[in-house]
Amino acid sequence: MVKVVKGTLVECDSTMKQFLLYLDEKGEVGGKFVLEDLDETHLLIESDFVERLKEKIDDLMDKHTYAPDK
Amino acid sequence: MIASIENLKFKMDDHDDKFGNDLVPKSARNHFTEYKNEDEFGAKDFSKDLELKNDHQNRPIWITPDGHIFLESFSPVYKHAQDFLITISEPVCRPEFIHEYKLTSYSLYAAVSVGLQTADIIEYLKRLSKTSIPESVVKFIKDSTLTYGKVKLVLKENRYFVETRHEDVVKIIFSDPVIKNIIIHQDVHGEGNQINFDQFLVKETGRETNANDMFEFYDKMDQDEVAINSKQKVYSFEIKKEEIENLQKRCQEIDYPLLAEYDFKNDPNIPNIDIALRPNATLRPYQEKALRKMFGNGRARSGIIVLPCGAGKTLVGVTTACTVNKRALVLCNSSVSVEQWKQQFRTWSTADDNIICRFTHEAKDKPIGSKILITTYSMITITTKRSYEAEKVMDWLKGQEWGLMLLDEVHTIPAKMFRRVLTIVSAQCKLGLTATLVREDDKITDLNFLIGPKLYEANWMELQNKGFLAKVQCCEVWCPMTPQFYREYLINRSRKKSLLFIMNPNKFRICQYLIKLHESRNDKIIVFSDNVFALIHYAIKLGCPYIYGPTSQNERLQILQNFQHNPKVNCIFVSKVADTSFDLPDANVLIQISSHGGSRRQEAQRLGRILRAKKDSNGEDFNAFFYTLVSNDTMEMYYSAKRQRFLINQGYSYKVINRLGNLENENLFYSKKEEQQDLLQKVLAASETAADEEDMPSNVKSTAGSQIFRSQATLSSLSGGDEGMYAEVRRSQSSKEKNRHPLFKKFLR
Repeated sequence: MVKVVKGTLVECDSTMKQFLLYLDEKGEVGGKFVLEDLDETHLLIESDFVERLKEKIDDLMDKHTYAPDK
Repeated sequence: MIASIENLKFKMDDHDDKFGNDLVPKSARNHFTEYKNEDEFGAKDFSKDLELKNDHQNRPIWITPDGHIFLESFSPVYKHAQDFLITISEPVCRPEFIHEYKLTSYSLYAAVSVGLQTADIIEYLKRLSKTSIPESVVKFIKDSTLTYGKVKLVLKENRYFVETRHEDVVKIIFSDPVIKNIIIHQDVHGEGNQINFDQFLVKETGRETNANDMFEFYDKMDQDEVAINSKQKVYSFEIKKEEIENLQKRCQEIDYPLLAEYDFKNDPNIPNIDIALRPNATLRPYQEKALRKMFGNGRARSGIIVLPCGAGKTLVGVTTACTVNKRALVLCNSSVSVEQWKQQFRTWSTADDNIICRFTHEAKDKPIGSKILITTYSMITITTKRSYEAEKVMDWLKGQEWGLMLLDEVHTIPAKMFRRVLTIVSAQCKLGLTATLVREDDKITDLNFLIGPKLYEANWMELQNKGFLAKVQCCEVWCPMTPQFYREYLINRSRKKSLLFIMNPNKFRICQYLIKLHESRNDKIIVFSDNVFALIHYAIKLGCPYIYGPTSQNERLQILQNFQHNPKVNCIFVSKVADTSFDLPDANVLIQISSHGGSRRQEAQRLGRILRAKKDSNGEDFNAFFYTLVSNDTMEMYYSAKRQRFLINQGYSYKVINRLGNLENENLFYSKKEEQQDLLQKVLAASETAADEEDMPSNVKSTAGSQIFRSQATLSSLSGGDEGMYAEVRRSQSSKEKNRHPLFKKFLR
């Protein structure tokens, strides 16, 4: 039985790859999504998760950005 | 638990009762109401309230209804306008072209106390403003200034006088039942309330008419306020000495706070100490300006002078002491700066060892009878038991009346501690010196009322452009986390996290690269790390000397001496003990690898270590460098942005470097994966406490800590043979101890 999953190739710096792997491991976006760990800067992931991952990364960036008014 | 309840209570009535209302006038709590007219993006639209004047090009400022003032720094009358705005408002942000100021009740209080009057302030503003002045601003100024600074308490020839320039104020004072009894009536004409006030009139001259021509007017503004003062009536009456306290209290109640001025030339009570400035001490123009504000009318005003680090605060202090020429008490915040003050007194003034005295744990001077006493805040306010000798000195200190009290780094002392100092020491005149009067915190602004108003604040950028300060290039260097470290960063708990981003191998490599680069240029480099674990690791790996809390005084001096004079020692590592008052005149490169969260003050203080003007400055190029190393994608990015605000407001700009050239080709540590892995293991194996910042050691060296320190010392000092007094320090319960099995706890006890 062949199962077809739509995949997206992600290119990122090596730290961001660690972040994605971390999310994958912890299941914080509702399940495993990494299909293949290709090399230092490339990952193949399930396309369905892309939007949710973008949100997560935005959150991370917000956390590390200082906004003077708040 | 109890402490936290008390804390809560303290917070609740913070606003009204912090000082029991006896030191801070009521109207000091005035605030502007929030401006409502905002568009969807939060921008405020003032166009309906403000009317643009026809000749607005010639005028340099805008005033908004919520009390903000914007000044064009390229205006031809910029210099005049700036001097005026510094006097009446607080600088918020001073970048290159447009400066922002804010009117606050504190700043207006300060303005009145140096002699400006309500009507003058409004009139000046009207002339400077491009638009009409909003009603709310006029009202605010009136509310904050009408009753302030109208009454002065002057000490002359051991007699107290109340002085005022306003007839209506005299009437109010005379009609007050409490104050009436305090005043010494010499020969009062008239009956009851019908007192002829003219008898108290000391000087009377016509009030000058306002100049009509714009530029003539600006010139007039430029003159010292003193000139304006002397042209007005002065009423003066003597009061009973023993009732001073009551008078001050009563005046506070009726909202006419007394301003204290000290007529030091006519005070036979405290003997002169006969010191003078040496001829080689030359004051820079801004230092003179600051001193003019203080000694404006031949008397000494109490207040705070704000000058950037390295701009010669100490010289201002020494000059004040020479001018007042009375017994002086200098308070600093560490024993290292005590030494430096002493040194400065000897270089700039004719005072010698006979009259300068240190009162610290280490010094063996005999303070009793000294004319200039230099000590630390903690030495005065300490509540634990003192040695017999120290106790005797304290008694003497309390019994004396001091002519002048100099408070170094005044921002560092909390109001509570300061009040203790005030109750212990009685001084005629208080001068606070600081570089970073960080303003949002109410506790710091209240210092204005405890010491006095802010007399002068220098513009950092201007001093830099004139060559009084080093031209500093600020850089934020982004260091990418290695994947292994970032992985652990994501998994670990917050305390370990900080250790991971400080020990990031890429950061280490960049640090090493920068040190190499600047050593080859013959620069002198200081590396700051708040984290002791990282400090020691970096320093040992790179073979540089390091200083932190437990380093002995002797070793510190030795390292600093070597750093200054030995051409082989070009780089030292220091923890936050070196943040303030560590004078390292030759250092011109500063690398910061870890810091105390988002503290703006620390950032500014650290910059101050390299601000002292360099010898070879040619005015054009940068001659000092301030690097902050930040690990990408971590909390450090957040802190770093937060820390930079103060300096950005002073007009500094940070250059972000996200890639340093040929890092790979350099022969640096931790370039191999295995080395990095080793380092990671070391970091992970480090105890929880290693991630903590160093506790600031108080003046008494604490020997009991939860950390284990390895330090070198002679046998005699290890066995307690060194000087220094016995102190018991309560060991704080570390989390480790709490987790211990109850059985072991029992044994330990």
